Amino acid sequence: MPLNSPWNPLIIRLSSSKVSPLEPHFTDCVSREQETFRCWWSPGIFQNLSSPGDLRVFYLKKESLSSEWKECPEYIHSNRECFFDRNHTAIWITYCMQLRSQNTRYINEDDCFTVENIVRPDPPVSLNWTLLNVSPSGLSYDVVVIWTPPPSADVRVGWMRIEYEVQYREINTTNWEALEVQPYTKQTIYGLHVGKEYEVHIRCKMQGFSKYGDFSDSIFIQVTDIVTEEPLMFILVLVLGIVGVLILIMLIAITQQHRLMMILLPPVPAPKIKGIDSELLKKGKLDDLNFFLNGGGFGGLPPYAPEFYHDEPWVEFIEVEAEDRDGGGKDDSLTSDTQMLLGLTQTGCHHINLGCSNALGFPNNNLGQTSCYDPAVLEANSLMLMGSLLPGQPEEEEEEEKEAASFNDIKRCPTSAESDENKHNPVQPTWINTDFYAQVSNVMPSGGVVLSPGQHVRTQESSSTTEEETRKKENIIETEEKKQTKLLVVNPEGNGYTVENIRSPPPSTSVSPTEYQTVEPSPMSRSHGNQSANIVPDPPRCQIFTPVADYTVVQELDSHRSLILQPPPPPPPPQQSLPSCVPLKVPIGYITPDLLGSLSP
Amino acid sequence: MLCSVCTAPVCTNAQVGCHAVSLNNLFDRIIQHSAKMHRVSNDLHQQFELHVLPSRNQVGRGGHICHTSTIMTPNGKENAQRMAREGLTQVILQLLMAWTDPLMNLHHSSTNVSVDMSSMVGELRRGVQRLAEKMHTLGLLTDPDSSVVSPEALMTSHPVPWRLMNLYDILYCFRRDSNKVHNYLRILKCRIVPEHGC
Repeated sequence: MPLNSPWNPLIIRLSSSKVSPLEPHFTDCVSREQETFRCWWSPGIFQNLSSPGDLRVFYLKKESLSSEWKECPEYIHSNRECFFDRNHTAIWITYCMQLRSQNTRYINEDDCFTVENIVRPDPPVSLNWTLLNVSPSGLSYDVVVIWTPPPSADVRVGWMRIEYEVQYREINTTNWEALEVQPYTKQTIYGLHVGKEYEVHIRCKMQGFSKYGDFSDSIFIQVTDIVTEEPLMFILVLVLGIVGVLILIMLIAITQQHRLMMILLPPVPAPKIKGIDSELLKKGKLDDLNFFLNGGGFGGLPPYAPEFYHDEPWVEFIEVEAEDRDGGGKDDSLTSDTQMLLGLTQTGCHHINLGCSNALGFPNNNLGQTSCYDPAVLEANSLMLMGSLLPGQPEEEEEEEKEAASFNDIKRCPTSAESDENKHNPVQPTWINTDFYAQVSNVMPSGGVVLSPGQHVRTQESSSTTEEETRKKENIIETEEKKQTKLLVVNPEGNGYTVENIRSPPPSTSVSPTEYQTVEPSPMSRSHGNQSANIVPDPPRCQIFTPVADYTVVQELDSHRSLILQPPPPPPPPQQSLPSCVPLKVPIGYITPDLLGSLSP
Repeated sequence: MLCSVCTAPVCTNAQVGCHAVSLNNLFDRIIQHSAKMHRVSNDLHQQFELHVLPSRNQVGRGGHICHTSTIMTPNGKENAQRMAREGLTQVILQLLMAWTDPLMNLHHSSTNVSVDMSSMVGELRRGVQRLAEKMHTLGLLTDPDSSVVSPEALMTSHPVPWRLMNLYDILYCFRRDSNKVHNYLRILKCRIVPEHGC
């Protein structure tokens, strides 16, 4: 048994059904490259023939009918091998082998063969593997194994056509996975697992034949978790790139901040109140503001009034009541701007026509009612008004206190004399509920402005008795007076008409905002009567159609920069019970263009 | 001489719709066909040995006398390489010619053999003839004395008429000869167009 032969001696071809014969016999004959071949023999149980020379190998090459037995051309006794070189090897010719001892011939007819049938190619060499791809989960991968044909097999000439069988297994397992036999020198192995080590070997056979050669040396394949670093690197690079871009954007934003702010957030045009410096408003200097609005010491109009007048066709004094302390200020839906302006609210007793204990009394008008002119109240109210011009502006505490003090005065609820009316009729002219601002719908030829209907308010209007109405009227008149005085830039000298009746409240409780009273200026002193004359004389009975004396038409300016308002039309007879109210022609509070020219500082 | 321009059209008969086949392509087809033929013959022989003679091992018994033994064929790599292209081509054709009739007879007479190998042989023979013509056209076959074009000249008398061969011998001999043809064709191809598969 050639144990140390290069071929695996375990591959002993025996008769398909026979056991190894006892007599000397050939164990195997193999050709590696179809150019030479070898045969090994065994003495069998005849150990006395085991020494070299005891047995001789003869072969018969059946080339022709006259062939004869020849002895082995080359003995390798150490292997009990007979080697046939190229010169003695013929393909497609039958060889028969024979063992001969000294006097015996051991012939086995089965030992005839043709060389192409005993070819077992050498294993391939230069095995290598490369990673083909990795699964998305990173748990399995594919490899491509490549090799070169055995150097002994002359494939280049076409003498041999070799097919390969690749086998692989996980290390330390027993079962090999065999892949399909194929004639190319590369093979892909799919579905290997990351982290496991695999062993791969390959063997060859001739195309069209069935005898395999020996396996090649194994190569080992292992892929660790290194494959997951690739996506990690990619993510890292991506994150760094994003961070860099963000830093760049921030730098640009910081350096070009101003420009960006201009582009992104263009400055909103601030609301302009004519005649009021926005800076003053911001600073909250109500005193200065009030000073300016009240004439700035020069009496009458603020110094910049002429410019103001030149720019605008009418003088419009935006006067707003101070914030309602109780009701939450302007946001109180229950209180309209008019109410606030006039100091009349539902909740508080901010109206002015309340008992003026410390007020100067003025001789009553024909209504016979003393009305109060309370400079303190007036001033307080002015402050209130001024304060309300600054919506949302934090007012200084002292001013607040001042206003509070004034509020206290104002808050004085109606005296007992008036309480009745107040009970019955909360002293708020219903027209107060109309919005302070109304849309101008038409300009009258006489210069009056007709406002479009705003909010109609009519509430607690009770059809009280005449007396009540009278009282109401008186109250209203007082209210109006107060309002007028409050609203007006008072001309201390009283020369001419000082009243800039920006608004004169209607005599009745119900007012139609569409109609206004015409206030006729009259060269009267600032008296109650005058004022009352300026007060809306129009039919207070006119529930619906009575004009809203929100505005007074300014006729002209006097020498002292006081606005001379048009006097209201003469009051209708008090017995008027309703209705056909004379629509006022001239809205109060506006200077018509033709009047503007007559104005002079 | 290696073929550098092997795309000359083979359609010399001015046939309509005749596609030009390159020499490399022709060789590939022929070799594929030859391999198939050899595979079939091998399977037949193996089946026969397994079922009819189960006691035999794969080495096989000697003593098969084939009717194609008289055809001088190179029996080794060196001999085959030394042989000229024309000689090789001729040998191939001779072998293929010799097996057409026996196989046809085998197919018709024996019920054990269902595969009609004679048609395979015939196809292969025609292919090789086409190949020889192409090579001759390309000037690869320089020996003017070789009568490759005329197959009738290849017919030689056989020492052993094939009718006397039994089935086993026929299968054995055919298997051997198909292997010969296959080998010779491969050698020819790797000598003339050694690109793919050599």
